[in-house]
Amino acid sequence: MLLKIQDLTKSFGGLVAVHKVSLSIEKGEVVGLIGPNGAGKTTLMNLISGYHKAISGRIEFDGADITGARPHKICRRGISRTFQIPRPFPDLTALANVAVGVLCGKHRPHMSYSDGLLDASHCLEFVGLFGKRNTLARDLTLYELRALELARALATTPKLIMIDEVMAGLNPGEASRAIKLVRRMIEEYHITIFWIEHVMKVIMEATERVIVLHYGEKIASGPPQEIVHDPKIIEAYLGEKIA
Amino acid sequence: MRIEHKRARLVFHIRDLKLEWAIEPRYWRNPLLAVAGLALLPLVIISKPDYLTLLTTANIYAAVAIPLAWQMVGIGRMNFGPQFFVGIGGFAAALLSIHLGWGPWQTLGIVILLGLGFGLALSPLTTIAKGLYFSLITLVLPLIFLEFTYVYTDVFKGETGLSGIAPLVNFGKIRTNYLVSCYFSLGLMLLSLYIVDKVLRSRIGLYEAAINDDEDVAETCGLNINGWKILCFTVTSVMIAVTGWFAAHYYGTFSGITYLHLPFMVKILLIVMIGGRGELYGSIVGAYFVAFLEQALTILGPVHYIVFPFVLLIMLSTLREGLYGLYRRHKYREYYPTIRVRKR
Repeated sequence: MLLKIQDLTKSFGGLVAVHKVSLSIEKGEVVGLIGPNGAGKTTLMNLISGYHKAISGRIEFDGADITGARPHKICRRGISRTFQIPRPFPDLTALANVAVGVLCGKHRPHMSYSDGLLDASHCLEFVGLFGKRNTLARDLTLYELRALELARALATTPKLIMIDEVMAGLNPGEASRAIKLVRRMIEEYHITIFWIEHVMKVIMEATERVIVLHYGEKIASGPPQEIVHDPKIIEAYLGEKIA
Repeated sequence: MRIEHKRARLVFHIRDLKLEWAIEPRYWRNPLLAVAGLALLPLVIISKPDYLTLLTTANIYAAVAIPLAWQMVGIGRMNFGPQFFVGIGGFAAALLSIHLGWGPWQTLGIVILLGLGFGLALSPLTTIAKGLYFSLITLVLPLIFLEFTYVYTDVFKGETGLSGIAPLVNFGKIRTNYLVSCYFSLGLMLLSLYIVDKVLRSRIGLYEAAINDDEDVAETCGLNINGWKILCFTVTSVMIAVTGWFAAHYYGTFSGITYLHLPFMVKILLIVMIGGRGELYGSIVGAYFVAFLEQALTILGPVHYIVFPFVLLIMLSTLREGLYGLYRRHKYREYYPTIRVRKR
């Protein structure tokens, strides 16, 4: 078991964003996380990455309790993430953006600054941004920013990458390139993926198991083919009448 | 520890840490030319002690502005009260020198320790207070210190300040003293520049640039942002305190009204902004420009008190990238080593 979450709860004032969510992810799995807007998907991701602190519950990663740990410690343990709205370091070049991930992520002995830049250039080449290595991140297109975020996440040498809506805002051509990129990442690096996505086609094709959140609670978990025919899920997405 | 020479670099292996130091002369040319120019300047104007003092003042300004420029990047916040640490260094040196009869080298150790202590004590502010709150707190700190000097007038001598501080150098001849002090100040400024330049070109510079851009994202990338911010704030505080020590021993007097009051702070911030908005080399350009402009405008008589800030404000609004930006726009060359991925 790579990631194990037990009864995780988080509220903002009176609003319970995540309520007693329990889930587990095995090593090498590609797990999708779906749910309507405001279901608590990104909050759950923020809790796992240490960005928010849970009010109750427990998060275990690779056998260690990481509940309440600082984000940098969680990252160094092997959890990396991308953001729903890309958040690069805008005044740094693409190479420097990824180099931050290389040098700050998992502790790698005998890694000098120059070695880090070289490793970062490998990551950039993997996502197809090597030609833009000296371009400032603020000058990159949306697709390039998404690729940069994936490269930066990959650069930290993670065991688990949490991808937050990589398709959002991309045109069909870019979206298919992004899917190919994530697939190649899974195939070549054998990384466990926890993938938030609204595009059901992607979830159906790319994931092995899907977890559904609704109003902060886990309402279903299972193979994507079963999930899409579950009346509870259809009701959550489309309303009681249609279900 | 093992050292090896590899592709124009010195590689230091310390346990599992690997550090590289580029020794390619092409990186040295421009800094060497600038340093040579600054080193020759005092010899050119040796006959005019006024100008030597002016150069020393410019170097003092730059020695405060350089660590401040680093701090602005490293903690991602605007410090409006760097003069607090000038005050700590200056008053500590002055009190020790006057009451215990200590010389400049004896007071230096205590000043460093005090800078370290106060820097560490105040460094949690960089993690607690964000944006405007940090700026406001740092703005108020030196003013509280100033009030403190007024309340305890018997110790700090209020508005008149402390005098009779042991001089930095004493060769018997006034002109020689001025010249040596000028070179001393230049050395202090260049040492600050060297330290900060080395740090900003290293991986620490990359970490601090990331913190400056988005500290939350930097932390999710595995960077211990609080640790680096505390380190940056503390080290820069020590550097600014040492400048206060120099000012106290150079002028022989030290008063809160000169260094802790708002005009000194405004001058330092304007130097940083007019020089080039957090640009390291811009701080030196800004310091020399502001010091010389202030001197040049004195020919206008009392009206220069109005003209001086007015000129600076016009420059602030018209030169968006500062004076150094003018040079960079025409001469800027990216010396970032180009990395090629070898496929085989």
